[in-house]
Amino acid sequence: MNISGRLYLVKYLAVAAMLAIFFIAQSAHASPPASSAAPAAEPSGLKSVLASSGAAKAEAAKKSVVDEDYVEDDEYYDDEAAEKAKIADPIEPFNRAMYHFNDKLYFWVLKPAAQGYKFVVPEAGRVSVRNLFSNLRTPTRFVSCLLQADFSGAATEAGRFAINTIWGIGGLLDPSSGQELNLKKQDTDLGQTLGFYGVGHGFYIVWPIFGPSSPRDSADIVGDYFLYPVSYLDPFYVPWCVRAYEEVNSTSLRIGDYESLKDAAIDPYIAIRDAYAQYRANKVKQRKIKFESFWSGQSKSENVEK
Amino acid sequence: MQKKWTGFFSVLMLFIFIVPVYAAAPLQVVETNVNKVLDVLRDPKLKAPAAKEAKTQRLRVIYKGMFNEVEFSRRTLGRNWNQLTPAQRAEFIELFEQVLEKAYLDKILSYTNEKIEYTREIVHSDKQAEVQTRVVTSSQEIPIFYRLVFAEGNWRVYDVVVENVSLVQNYRTQFNDILAKNNPEHLLQILRKRVKEQ
Repeated sequence: MNISGRLYLVKYLAVAAMLAIFFIAQSAHASPPASSAAPAAEPSGLKSVLASSGAAKAEAAKKSVVDEDYVEDDEYYDDEAAEKAKIADPIEPFNRAMYHFNDKLYFWVLKPAAQGYKFVVPEAGRVSVRNLFSNLRTPTRFVSCLLQADFSGAATEAGRFAINTIWGIGGLLDPSSGQELNLKKQDTDLGQTLGFYGVGHGFYIVWPIFGPSSPRDSADIVGDYFLYPVSYLDPFYVPWCVRAYEEVNSTSLRIGDYESLKDAAIDPYIAIRDAYAQYRANKVKQRKIKFESFWSGQSKSENVEK
Repeated sequence: MQKKWTGFFSVLMLFIFIVPVYAAAPLQVVETNVNKVLDVLRDPKLKAPAAKEAKTQRLRVIYKGMFNEVEFSRRTLGRNWNQLTPAQRAEFIELFEQVLEKAYLDKILSYTNEKIEYTREIVHSDKQAEVQTRVVTSSQEIPIFYRLVFAEGNWRVYDVVVENVSLVQNYRTQFNDILAKNNPEHLLQILRKRVKEQ
């Protein structure tokens, strides 16, 4: 080997070593997530899994991370939303009393009724009944869309009503939501319409029977009464019987949801109040996003709907 | 001739040191972990009611890899986190995890044939992302979003948003309410009692 050959070798080796160090440093910084990307290790015993997966590593890392403070200006993008989804509760004692009333109403009346009904009517039938009632509520959604200048939403609702009434046997089926037509139900109401125009909740009210609400969303209960065709049935008690049946039917499709929400909570009253506030705030936000994307000419995103 | 060979070998040597430098994307993290959970739930060997404990153990292991528990707890307590001593924090993480496990385990174990659609991935910054999914059951569609944080080389979940309701925020409101009137020790006591009675 001559001198120049040796020099080259040294030079190449030096470059190779430098690059190697660089890559090792990189990969140590962002090591491939063994616990999440690697195929699940077949656990022969818990101990071996704990040792082999990232769990043990995480356990060790946890100790040091626990000492880190919570930094206010961490700029989590969801913090702003959290601020917005708060609701004042000046009449908490009244609300708590009403919450307990509704809670008993659910466990003593509504749930047993829904369970008996569920036992008799198969799920497909109950879904159809839900579709039927949903079809009857088209006016509320149609008017809400119009008031929000959401003309595509209003057209969708009108089209859905025509198609589901004629081809869906008066609304028992929902052919519009199928893949071919893809006319999805516009999830909006009058309370959201007010929210859309910047009206805040005001404060939290728990109505007996109607449940969590606010002055703003109470306007929705009233408006919905007038736009819901069932309200105009004679004699006077028929609408209430229909509504009661509607409630039993929809409850039968979600028995267990309320229970799990309640069981998971440390303070169920607060948990439900917060869930209500978050849920409504996000719905209003979605309507605003839809409005903006529609009027700025972007194609409407399917994800915004959901 | 020799020059050529030395060049060739040193280039070859470079490849030896190239280790795949990557951290799975947020969507991948959620998808692989959710699939692991589904595999456990659908495992015919674990169908028997007696296998519940075995199932739970496996789910716990997946949970540890999928969630950033510290971030989860820290975000849940918010600014109140700073009132807790490190020892209290560690205990809180432990207790909160058990409370959540007790609350959601049966719900998770009851899931079997629901279809899960991964609708989209939004990367907010190099540290935060959201993965949006949809669980389709025979009677309804439930949107479930996972919020992830990038730390220690991994994307891991720190919040789950079910039907627009963030779990972290929901618990934060409850804990805030308790901590507004009481000291952290009282909160821990409530949680301890809770874990014990379930």
